[in-house]
Amino acid sequence: MDRLSLYLDPQIRDWVLFPITLVMILVGVLRHYVVVLLQSPPKKLSRAATREQRALTRSQILRATSANSPIPPSFYKAISQNLSEAFKAGTYLKDGPPKGDAPPSAPNPLSDPAAMDGMMAGMKTQMVMMVPQMVIMGWINFFFQGFVLIKLPFPLTLGFKSMLQRGIDTPDMDVRWVSSLSWYFLNFFGLNGLYRLILGGDNSADASRDMTASPFAAMGNTQPGQPQDFNKLFKAERDNLEFAEGLYSWVGENMETKILRKYGKLPYDSK
Amino acid sequence: MSLQSALEQLAAHRIKNTRASQDVFRNGLLVLQKKGLKKLGDDGWTFLEQLTLASIDVGRLDIADQCLQLIADKFPNSPRVDCLTGIRIEATEPPETALKYYADILEADSANAGIWKRRISVLRRTGKVEKAVNELVQFLDTFYTDVEGWLELADIYATCNQYEHSLQALTHVLLLTPQNPFYMLQAAETAYTAEDFPLAIKMFLTVVDMTDGDDSEQLLQESTPLGITVRAWFGVKLCARRIAQNTNMKSPSNTSLPKKVELLDELATERLRVAYSSSGQKGEIAKGRQEVFAWVAAPLA
Repeated sequence: MDRLSLYLDPQIRDWVLFPITLVMILVGVLRHYVVVLLQSPPKKLSRAATREQRALTRSQILRATSANSPIPPSFYKAISQNLSEAFKAGTYLKDGPPKGDAPPSAPNPLSDPAAMDGMMAGMKTQMVMMVPQMVIMGWINFFFQGFVLIKLPFPLTLGFKSMLQRGIDTPDMDVRWVSSLSWYFLNFFGLNGLYRLILGGDNSADASRDMTASPFAAMGNTQPGQPQDFNKLFKAERDNLEFAEGLYSWVGENMETKILRKYGKLPYDSK
Repeated sequence: MSLQSALEQLAAHRIKNTRASQDVFRNGLLVLQKKGLKKLGDDGWTFLEQLTLASIDVGRLDIADQCLQLIADKFPNSPRVDCLTGIRIEATEPPETALKYYADILEADSANAGIWKRRISVLRRTGKVEKAVNELVQFLDTFYTDVEGWLELADIYATCNQYEHSLQALTHVLLLTPQNPFYMLQAAETAYTAEDFPLAIKMFLTVVDMTDGDDSEQLLQESTPLGITVRAWFGVKLCARRIAQNTNMKSPSNTSLPKKVELLDELATERLRVAYSSSGQKGEIAKGRQEVFAWVAAPLA
């Protein structure tokens, strides 16, 4: 192949390659600050809501040590049964125990104003990401379509052709040449490291990360912050509590024999 | 003292969360005078918070006000600053003013843990123990994982001679920090005071098991009990005596009586003797050795 069949005008470097890169970096930084501005302070939970949210940790803490529990049986049973009763009766629910025989329905995310707020916040950041990226892509497509911007300093296999030469339909060109649109995508996915240097660890400049998280995907699976049906969770936790109670043993149960053996007062084999 | 060492000491106090107010105040004043605040960067704000608390502690309210002003200007509406302001109010104003201040904040944000805890402490301090307990129970029902709160509840109950309740609060502390022998010791002593000797002796033995350093190379029989292990052995000895005096005692928590009480008593005696035989490196005699030896030698029943 004739390697030097293409000669890139330095003007392309100065007026196309650098501007695209610079614009993308600046847009990323700008996006970061816009997202920071748009972020509303976390909503304060009411006492009842906090209690509801944290009720599960109580039983989790109890269960965590149940196989070797630091507390004696009578105390353990009391706590465990108390929790179980409370979960069954719905004492910890935000709105109090369910009344009458109306079937408890799963909360609808669209009717709960708190949930809507969370979703709107997600949409807002999405928009801040989408709009400038669409504008930049349109700009590149309109002005620099078919431009070849750089030549990579290393050879690549033919498989990279679709990645590096998007927008140029030539079967014969060496894969090392990178087209303008491909340069845009390389920047789009690759600038995160640079943003981290400029803006610190948890910046919101990187657009490619948000691509994977659509605001509507969150509706299916429950995310933190999304409404959860605590009633259902509590009911499930009751089974876990029962299971843990079966596993329960007190660490101090046969402590005297253990200590006596440790200090050689009792032989190890005898029970 | 140089600025550098003052800053280091302050940072050490912050990390260990010690309340060495006089020390913190002296060092903090030095930092303020030498204009070290700018040097601290973002750490400066935690330093100011620390200095505010310390100067309230030592009664230099002028310095406290100065610091508080700086922090409040930087972080308006911060719950942490609200808490500091509350403490400053408590320092000079009557408790009613402080309670009013806390009530106003809780009205707006009912789940503000820091303010809620301050309010409970003011209630307890002013003698409204019943109200304080009610609030504290409600608080712990919401923020179950607050170890400090559970300890406070256990303490309030203990001061009211409600040792069973105190023990119940301590079981929650144990659940939250199962690896802390000091809380286990406190629970054991509370159980002893509540006259639940079978439970107490097993808890004391658990403390021994947790702290006797059986992961070291030395043989346990030849090691010397140190620190709270000695205290736990004292507890074992006391409980063993009580149980030996009354072999069919009932435990309120239905804990079974330990087997081989005599052996346990013998072991505790031996351990205490070892602990008091070899205090210090130069073979000097431990303080109170005579008394301890006489006490452990007394007959079991």
